[in-house]
Amino acid sequence: MDIEGLGLMMRSTKLAGLALLALGAGILAGHAQLIPTNGQNRPTPKNDAVQYLFPEQVTVGAGKASPVSLHFRVVSGMHINSHTPSDEYLIPTVFTIPDGEGVKLAAANYPNGGNITLSADPKTKLSVYTGEFIIQAKILSPAGNHLVQGKLRYQACNDSQCLPPKTITVPIDVIGK
Amino acid sequence: MNRNKLVLSVVLVILAIFGWAGWANWQYRQQAAEKRLASVAKGELVPDPSGDGLKYLSPFIGKPAPDFSLQNLQGQKVSLDSYKGKAVLVNFWATWCGPCKVETPWLIELRNKYAPQGFEVLGISTEGDDLKPDDKAGWVKQKAAIAKFVNEEHMSYPVLVNGDSLSQEYGGLDAMPTSFFIDRKGTVVAAQMGLTSESDIEANIKKALSD
Repeated sequence: MDIEGLGLMMRSTKLAGLALLALGAGILAGHAQLIPTNGQNRPTPKNDAVQYLFPEQVTVGAGKASPVSLHFRVVSGMHINSHTPSDEYLIPTVFTIPDGEGVKLAAANYPNGGNITLSADPKTKLSVYTGEFIIQAKILSPAGNHLVQGKLRYQACNDSQCLPPKTITVPIDVIGK
Repeated sequence: MNRNKLVLSVVLVILAIFGWAGWANWQYRQQAAEKRLASVAKGELVPDPSGDGLKYLSPFIGKPAPDFSLQNLQGQKVSLDSYKGKAVLVNFWATWCGPCKVETPWLIELRNKYAPQGFEVLGISTEGDDLKPDDKAGWVKQKAAIAKFVNEEHMSYPVLVNGDSLSQEYGGLDAMPTSFFIDRKGTVVAAQMGLTSESDIEANIKKALSD
C-alpha cells in the first residue's frame, strides 16, 4: 500500500468512525423521542365501565323459555345503577334482545342492588351494582344457530363524577335444539 | 485500493442507515406532533402535582370560550356571547348525575352571593344524547323531566338544554359535572371536572371576576 492509499484509508476510517458516532447519537435521539416524557397515569374514566364476561355460547330447548345466566363485571372504582334505582332520575340497568334476532327475551331477573352513599352526600342511598353481577335471563329460541346481539344499557359513576349512559353489545351464540 | 473501496462502501452504507434513521425519526416526530395537536382539543384528568387528587386539564384555559346558542326551558335561544361583560360559570350537568345534584345547592348559593358583582351561572343539561334532533316527542318529554328536576332543586339560574351538542367544542365532556369559569372578556380562566368542593368553585368564581 502506498502512502496516498494509507492516507485515504485513514481518512475513510475516521469518516466511518464519525458516521458511527453520529449514527449512535441519532439512534439515541430517536429513542429518546419514543420514551413517553410524561409518565403520569391517566386516570380519566373511559366510557367502558361494564364488561360482558360469559357465556359466549348456550344450548337451549327450541321453542321453550330457557334460563341463561349472563355474567357482567363493573370496573373497579365505578358503580352502575341497579335495575331499580333509588331515584326516578337515575337510569336503570336494562338488558334487551332487539327484535328481528329470531331469539326473544321472555324474562329477565335482575339482582338486588347494593346500597352505597357518595362521600359528599352521605344521606342519599343509591342502589347500585359493583364488581360482578348476574342477570338471570329466560330466552326463547327457534331451532338452529343464532348469533344474538343482546344490549345492556347502563349509566356509570364513581364517587365524584358520572359517565354518560351507554349501551354495550352482549354477543351470545344461541343454539336451539 | 480494494480495501479503500471497501471502507468507502461501509461508510456509504453507514451514512445511508444514518439518513434512514434521521428520516424515520422525523416521521415519528411529525406523527407525535399531530397526535398532540389532536389530543390538545380534549380535556383530561391528571394527578395533581401537589399530590392532592386529580386535576382537570382543559385546552381552553387562557383561550376564548367557544360561543354557543342553546334553548332554555322556555324555548328561547340563549347565547354565551350575550353574557359578555359578566363572569360566567358554564356548568355541564345531567339529572342522572348524583355528584351534579350535590353541587347544585353550592352553585345556587354562590350565584346569589356574587350576582351583584356581575356573575352568572349557566346550567347546561347534557341529557338527550340518545335522542335524534327530529324526535320532537322525545325532546318534549326530556325537557319536562329537566324542568321538574330544576323546580325540585330550586335552580334559580338559567338552564339550557341539548348541551351534548357542545361536546366537541368543549373538549369531549367525558364526565359530569364539568364546569368552565369564564371572565368578563369571554376568556376561560379555569375548568373543573367532577365534584370538588364549594370553596374550590368559589375560588374559581373569584378568579373569573378578578380578570
